[in-house]
Amino acid sequence: MLQSAPRAPRGDSPNIRSSRGRGGIQKRRAGGPVRVDRDGDLDMDPATAGEKRRSAKGRMEPSRPAGTGRTNSGPARGGSIATARAKQAIMRGIGRGQANVLESRITTTGNSLQVEGLSSSKAASNPDRGVEALLAFLERKASGMDAKSNRTVKIKKSSLRGDKVIITASPEDIATLQKLDGFTFAGSVLSIKSFGSPSGKTGESVEQKKEPSAAALALKDRFRQVLAARYNPDLKLLNLSSIVADPGLAECFQETTNPTKVFQGLMIVCDGLFKTRAEKKEAIVSVTLANNSLANVGDANILAQTFPDLQNVDLSGNNLADMKSLDAWRYKLRLLENLVLSGNPIEAQLATLKDEFLKRYPNLMLLNNVQVRSPEQLAELKAKAEAAASPLPIAGPDFRDVGQVGENFVRQLLPLYDNDRSSLLTTFYDSNTTFSLSINTSTPRNHQNSKPIPPWADYMKNSRNLVRITHPGTRLNRSFKGVEAIKGLWTSLPATHHPDLSQTDKYIIECHSLPGLPDPSGQSARGVDGLIITIHGEFEEGNTTAADKPMRSFSRTIILGPGIPGFQPIRVISDMLALRAWGPLAQPQPAAMHQTPPQQHVQMAMPEQQKQEAMAMQLMEKTGMTLNYAALCLSETGWDLEKAFAAFTANKDKLPADAFLANVAR
Amino acid sequence: MTEPTLDPLIEVTVAGVAAQDFIDAYYPALNNPKGRASIADFYVKPVPGKPIAADIVLNGVPSTDPTEIQKIFDEQVTKAHYEVQTFDCHTINANYNVAANESALALDMDGKKMSIVVIVGGTVKYGEDGDVRAFSDSLVLVPNLEAHGPKAAKGLKKWLVQSQNFRLVL
Repeated sequence: MLQSAPRAPRGDSPNIRSSRGRGGIQKRRAGGPVRVDRDGDLDMDPATAGEKRRSAKGRMEPSRPAGTGRTNSGPARGGSIATARAKQAIMRGIGRGQANVLESRITTTGNSLQVEGLSSSKAASNPDRGVEALLAFLERKASGMDAKSNRTVKIKKSSLRGDKVIITASPEDIATLQKLDGFTFAGSVLSIKSFGSPSGKTGESVEQKKEPSAAALALKDRFRQVLAARYNPDLKLLNLSSIVADPGLAECFQETTNPTKVFQGLMIVCDGLFKTRAEKKEAIVSVTLANNSLANVGDANILAQTFPDLQNVDLSGNNLADMKSLDAWRYKLRLLENLVLSGNPIEAQLATLKDEFLKRYPNLMLLNNVQVRSPEQLAELKAKAEAAASPLPIAGPDFRDVGQVGENFVRQLLPLYDNDRSSLLTTFYDSNTTFSLSINTSTPRNHQNSKPIPPWADYMKNSRNLVRITHPGTRLNRSFKGVEAIKGLWTSLPATHHPDLSQTDKYIIECHSLPGLPDPSGQSARGVDGLIITIHGEFEEGNTTAADKPMRSFSRTIILGPGIPGFQPIRVISDMLALRAWGPLAQPQPAAMHQTPPQQHVQMAMPEQQKQEAMAMQLMEKTGMTLNYAALCLSETGWDLEKAFAAFTANKDKLPADAFLANVAR
Repeated sequence: MTEPTLDPLIEVTVAGVAAQDFIDAYYPALNNPKGRASIADFYVKPVPGKPIAADIVLNGVPSTDPTEIQKIFDEQVTKAHYEVQTFDCHTINANYNVAANESALALDMDGKKMSIVVIVGGTVKYGEDGDVRAFSDSLVLVPNLEAHGPKAAKGLKKWLVQSQNFRLVL
């Protein structure tokens, strides 16, 4: 065993590379040499690669129509199948890479079908037992099933288990593929049934899988042991220093001096151990990669990907020469606080590169054990960033009413719009009022707090979003002037229910006076004063009694002016309603919210602090100790003056000279 | 007496162009650190002794001084990206004469003397890592009489902001 396989240099092994899918681990057979390639796949020996190369030609056979829209990972499949050992599981589209070790990660339930009948077909005599031809047939037929949709059905994975072929695809594709049950393929009637959990597999396939599984699981176990031995749960430290020399791995990686592959294997296991980013962040805060002959952190990229929230990284004793050798982590590890680079060629230049490091890592405080940013500076930077993200303070509504005209209007507007639009129109609108509505279908959403967007169909044809409506005629048609025109539109709009105005968190209503409005009496050429009112809020839409009613957010700008004398006291000159997807209104951040808590804190702390200071002063006077020593003494005796004095008396001979005030007689 | 009235299509067209021109100039100026030096130019300047001043409310904070607004953007807003997604506008008064001379009170039949209310909706992102927020901006544009007439200096804005209510709404 341990045949020394000739290795192509990294990044220069097209045959091997092309025959691989995504990351995963598989071992060809028990006892053979195991190596991982670049993506962390355990590599196969060159004999297999050679066979693949040959079989790849076989794939060009006419059984597979060109351009069926399948993924281009075909060679993997064809190659694996062609080998004599092809009876083992084949993961179509993933090649042999994503194999047994990671089977637990691959969920097959629900999206899988088992296809029977291949063995009695004419295609069974193909080198790949006809799998290739069958899959092409299934995809072609399924894609043609629904001619209207013109959707291409793709089989994502396949594996040959005895006489059956297990295929995996998206749920819609599975539904379509299932309809092919009973189709004739190469003279054999196919039976297509849903394929349950892997536990339902036949005895034969279990047998087939057992052998590689055991070996691969053993490898995975070995990785686990290595990880366990190198993990310090108290420090949350993963020690990956001198990883290649690890006795637990030496056997597997005896030929390589590049630890990349080991990292890849280990990180895949880590991915299995910690499912979420939060779990990883919680478990591992620090990593040491010391003494791994790294010339470029790119070789350990997978580490930064797997643990993006690391705070402390030790890269000492590597061959990192300059900033370039760290470029691979340029935009990674955003939470990095402490970076150690001693014993690298780059170490000599760190003083000049300090600023670049600070720029790259916004949280960096220690570079090679030298403080490059104090916690205060960091806090200041963070405060600055926060201020930059919200530069305009959000205050409460600026409602500068004139004689409660605005308030009274708003109090009537919303209930009347909900319940009696025509009486709203006759009360406040006239023949010169203009109304229009516009919808914003692309407004941003609040990801923590959003609701489904009801269809816009009822508004779309009247929406006067002038970003989109550019034709003057259409612009004119969508502005509704006069009570009758507005009534016609409002009747066609969905019913609404605005929350009560007392729910202040649901509204921001502002108003101030506006000069130069047309004078309905025609007396003032310079116009008259009125109010401009803006209402930001939300409403429920429609008359449904469903518990979860459709909601929208709106902004409505209304210009109020004096009415025609003897007809109306006030009138609406302009009413513009802008609708958008519902989202909670940005709430005012009263200045108090930022300033009050620290103030309170200070106030709370003051009396206690003052008391302690006073006690320390007393003790200082009594004993001649410095204020600091007095405070220390007090804090050790629980701030009890008598006990502190007793402690002083008992220990005063042991106290250093600098514990006492100068010029004070002891 | 019958008031002279504007042709509705002219009214809609002129108002739409005025609003569009404002939007195309104002928000890019806010986005561009250099453009912020010209923000005060978008507003009606306060005239001492006369009740002529812009009424500007940003997130509920009122101001009548355009230079103050410019200062806020210059000093507090390190980086901003405003994007307009929707706008709508109406004519308020076809013959806006608040600051007009006694001799120039007649209606301009080309719509050059209208006051226009504009409602703008869009997104804004402040700083490098800020969230994308939604804003609603309600403005009243009035004619800049200094830009009218044969002697007017070139390059002056035809419309100025008389009233603004800006709000982050998400």
